Amino acid sequence: MARASVSIDYEGASEAVAAAYGRDPNFVIPMLQDLQREFGYIPSEAAICMARLLGIPLSQLYAVATFYSSLRLTPCGDHVITLCMGTVCYLKGSSKLAARIQASLNVGPGGTTADGRFTFQPVNCLGACGLAPVLVVDDTYFTEVKPIHVPDIIARYARKDGAARDVR
Amino acid sequence: MSVEHLTCPEDLARLRLQSARQTAEDTVTIAVCMDTCCCAKGAEDVWSAFETAIGIAAERGLHIELKRTACHGLCERGPLVIIAPGDILYQNVKPENVTQIVEETVVGGRVLESLIYEDPETGKKTASPSEIPFYTKQMRLVLRHNGAIDPESIDDYVAVGGYDALAKVLTEMTPEQVIAEVETSGLRGRGGGGFPTARKWRSCRAAEGSPRYIICNGDEGDPGAFMDRSIMEANPHAVIEGMIIGAYAIGSPQGFVYVRNEYPLAVRRVRKAIEDAHEHGLLGDNILGTGFDLDITINRGAGAFVCGESTALMASLEGHPGEPRAKYVHTVEVGLHGKPTCLNNVETWANVPAIISRGGKWFASIGTEGSKGTKVFSLAGKIRNTGLVEVPMGMTLREIVCGIGGGIPDGKRLKAVQTGGPSGGCIPEHLLDTPVDFDQLYDLGSMMGSGGLIVMDEDTCMVNVARYFLTFLREESCGKCTACREGTAQMCDILNRICAGEGREGDVELLLDLCQILEDAALCALGTSAANPVRSTTRYFRDEYDQHIRDHYCPAHDCRGLFSYEIVVEECRGCGACLKECPVEAISGEKRKPHALDQSLCVRCGACFDACSFSAIARVKPRVGSIASAAVQVEGS
Amino acid sequence: MATVTIDGRKVEIGEDRTALEAAHAAGVEIPTLCYHPAIDPYGACRLCLVEATLRGRTRMVTSCCYPVREGLEIATDTERVKVARRGVMELLLARAPQSESLRELAAGMGVREPRFPTVTRADHDCILCGLCVSVCSEVMGVAAISFASRGVERVVATPFLKPADSCVGCGACAAVCPVGAIHLQGTDGQVEVSPFNTRLPMTRCEECNAPITGLPFRERLEKELRPELAGALRICDSCKRSRAAAVVKKSSHLNRLAAVSTPAKGE
Repeated sequence: MARASVSIDYEGASEAVAAAYGRDPNFVIPMLQDLQREFGYIPSEAAICMARLLGIPLSQLYAVATFYSSLRLTPCGDHVITLCMGTVCYLKGSSKLAARIQASLNVGPGGTTADGRFTFQPVNCLGACGLAPVLVVDDTYFTEVKPIHVPDIIARYARKDGAARDVR
Repeated sequence: MSVEHLTCPEDLARLRLQSARQTAEDTVTIAVCMDTCCCAKGAEDVWSAFETAIGIAAERGLHIELKRTACHGLCERGPLVIIAPGDILYQNVKPENVTQIVEETVVGGRVLESLIYEDPETGKKTASPSEIPFYTKQMRLVLRHNGAIDPESIDDYVAVGGYDALAKVLTEMTPEQVIAEVETSGLRGRGGGGFPTARKWRSCRAAEGSPRYIICNGDEGDPGAFMDRSIMEANPHAVIEGMIIGAYAIGSPQGFVYVRNEYPLAVRRVRKAIEDAHEHGLLGDNILGTGFDLDITINRGAGAFVCGESTALMASLEGHPGEPRAKYVHTVEVGLHGKPTCLNNVETWANVPAIISRGGKWFASIGTEGSKGTKVFSLAGKIRNTGLVEVPMGMTLREIVCGIGGGIPDGKRLKAVQTGGPSGGCIPEHLLDTPVDFDQLYDLGSMMGSGGLIVMDEDTCMVNVARYFLTFLREESCGKCTACREGTAQMCDILNRICAGEGREGDVELLLDLCQILEDAALCALGTSAANPVRSTTRYFRDEYDQHIRDHYCPAHDCRGLFSYEIVVEECRGCGACLKECPVEAISGEKRKPHALDQSLCVRCGACFDACSFSAIARVKPRVGSIASAAVQVEGS
Repeated sequence: MATVTIDGRKVEIGEDRTALEAAHAAGVEIPTLCYHPAIDPYGACRLCLVEATLRGRTRMVTSCCYPVREGLEIATDTERVKVARRGVMELLLARAPQSESLRELAAGMGVREPRFPTVTRADHDCILCGLCVSVCSEVMGVAAISFASRGVERVVATPFLKPADSCVGCGACAAVCPVGAIHLQGTDGQVEVSPFNTRLPMTRCEECNAPITGLPFRERLEKELRPELAGALRICDSCKRSRAAAVVKKSSHLNRLAAVSTPAKGE
């Protein structure tokens, strides 16, 4: 994940992303997703460049970026904890998991910890209902999770060097 | 191996023979399920272990094929592995089981009892899916190739007859004949609306404007539903083939597959399928040399349930927020970019190839008068066999839940089945002999929906279920129209109060008035059907609402603070576990003597209940102790 | 042309029109908030509900967006319509209980106090009708503001909540707002558009120095949109009336019209 450095080439990054989609404004959403993949979020500087490159109003980009849950306008933590709040996970106690995560990390839904290590993102249904309750850290799935498992999961990712236990 | 570009149907037939002949006669196939759920439980590690173990066995001259497959159905029991010949299904396979599996089963032909299915009631062990009720009671048509083909191999799909229907359509049928065949089949949309598919295709074909577009709606947002994810991960080519046939019938040169953002593996598999089809000349210009052109693009959602609604999905494809618009002019006439657009669900498209190959009459011979064919359901919740099932329309809900699902675990009582997601309703136990059928489910106050079937037991509070769904809808509402934006917020407010013990006389009536406002005034189906969770739970479980409001009591013992805990003296062993856990020191007692719980100190947190291993803590109607001191937190809001 | 029946009255109207326009043609009043004749219908407020019957099927529709068809029957005053409209009005009042315009409209519909508490936040009584967003984008071609977020968090906002670079200070948003949530104010030679936190240089009347509008708007009008209206935004309305009155005074046979009072300059 990119950290703030001396100067970030938002213009160059936006150019590259826009070019990959032929500068077609229909692909605004995939373009924003690509920007987010690169920067960890959608920086306003990049959004401004993108609007200009595509010839669309900046207000349209802003409307799109704030409408969809997965798009972020503020930097996220090193690790994103996605918690499924779907019906089956809920029936099997995901709200207790949410409470435990929020208490352990001192963070609200959608928020990032003060040390920048974790962002907590509840989502509406990952479609893995057979293994409820489910949470995902970055790309790793944890299944049939109970509140007592939460500290251990967090601990795996809390190391200074950012390395997670190899689960593959 | 270089990819063959197929220039005519004969090329396709030749590729089929080639692919089918790939494997030697004495090959043992190890099919490992590699979909999202099984991978989440470590299927990739199991795969690696097999790769190593097979390498060693192959040195002895054995022909072994390790095959990636997807969604065998028993999703809670993964990682799942099927060995053929012998048709042996192994569950909960771990990397450390692999060497033994290869030695005993692959090489030795013996079954490992510890890894096969065990009936939770009788304890009987069964190795083959063809003898396990979970499978035998299903009718797997859309899912027929799950577990047999590699979703990332177009050759595998071709080998089992894939793209044969397409060749037939392009060389032997006119677009009108294709539509007529689909009409004979009686296929109705599988995304929830149940609209007759042929009628939609015909209207789109007849509409003015060009180009025409086709869309595959893979934005399966209903929580608890994973049918479309499984179909896209297990057999993406069936969806693609269906779309090409539909595009030919409608006269469309451009298709889109819209997959929700939360399904990264489905996106990858569909993208690969599109690329492979392109390389083989099954997409792009001059498909199979017949002059028909079609391009398909894949788009991802970005996290908005409302984008499952067709006009919102189209707005999203146009680079805008997913705001629906009124459908007084249908999207088949004015849709994407203002052009005639035919949008169908994943499962709908996946049904099309078989309808062409086996005929519309065949399809119509399955199911009921008004609902033909089969339906894929994701069966989940308080059920023994969680997973992906496919049944003929007309099978009763009870047969699905008890016959296929294996009934309710832990000796609990079945209370209700929820269908249709947040737009659907709860069907109580006494109505479970209702057949699965679009119209009959609608008459019960629910709907087929996309196929999520969630089983609830006696520990589920139905008021809390309504509250959960309204919270979901409030969060997912696009906010454009007053009725839905304000209406769902008001309903949430009332339901939150009721579940917190602050319900008032007249609250249910107010909720029902809000339901009427939503049904009459909301702009799109998200809003109009937001009334359903409340309507169905008040219709069948009104008593629970009344007890919450009148007695501040949750009879399911689910809503925190709305019931009391009591120590059952006869069961208490005096072990002290509850005493230790109690955060407010409300429990007292000596070791090995029955403990006592002081209600005036109790905050009803439930820590004692969770700690007790002897079922010595009972949940009862509220005892003395003010709700205010219960520090009630309404979770999930 | 199509024949449409509104509350029993037959009306002939073009097939490209809406049920609301047909009702107006028949002289029937339907309450609206998010409708404006200069802007494409949006269908957000849900007040203009009517019962529409076509080919034997009746359903509730928003008349502002519903296209007329031959044989369409509209009922604007049934019990079902009244209950639904009042319900919507209650929801709006619960959202913005202090709004005078809403209270007035509600009273006309027989709604005094909503049965619901305020559970959503309405900045400046904004009811999210979308007229300001549409007029800025469709009519002015600027799109300085848009909707942001969704659901109960939905607001009308400038990009990144910063002052809008592209705003021209025309005041169209303030002019169309049905609840008076938007204001243009002249301060220190600048136009302030609130609540959008945007300030721009102002143009003043070349005769009396009264504030007129945002400078970028005048420039845009003159250079890009309607050069023939070059003079229109250089003189304020009062001075225009004074000039007109002076012309009238000069004409002998219209001397009696000199009794028309001239508004004070600078008003």
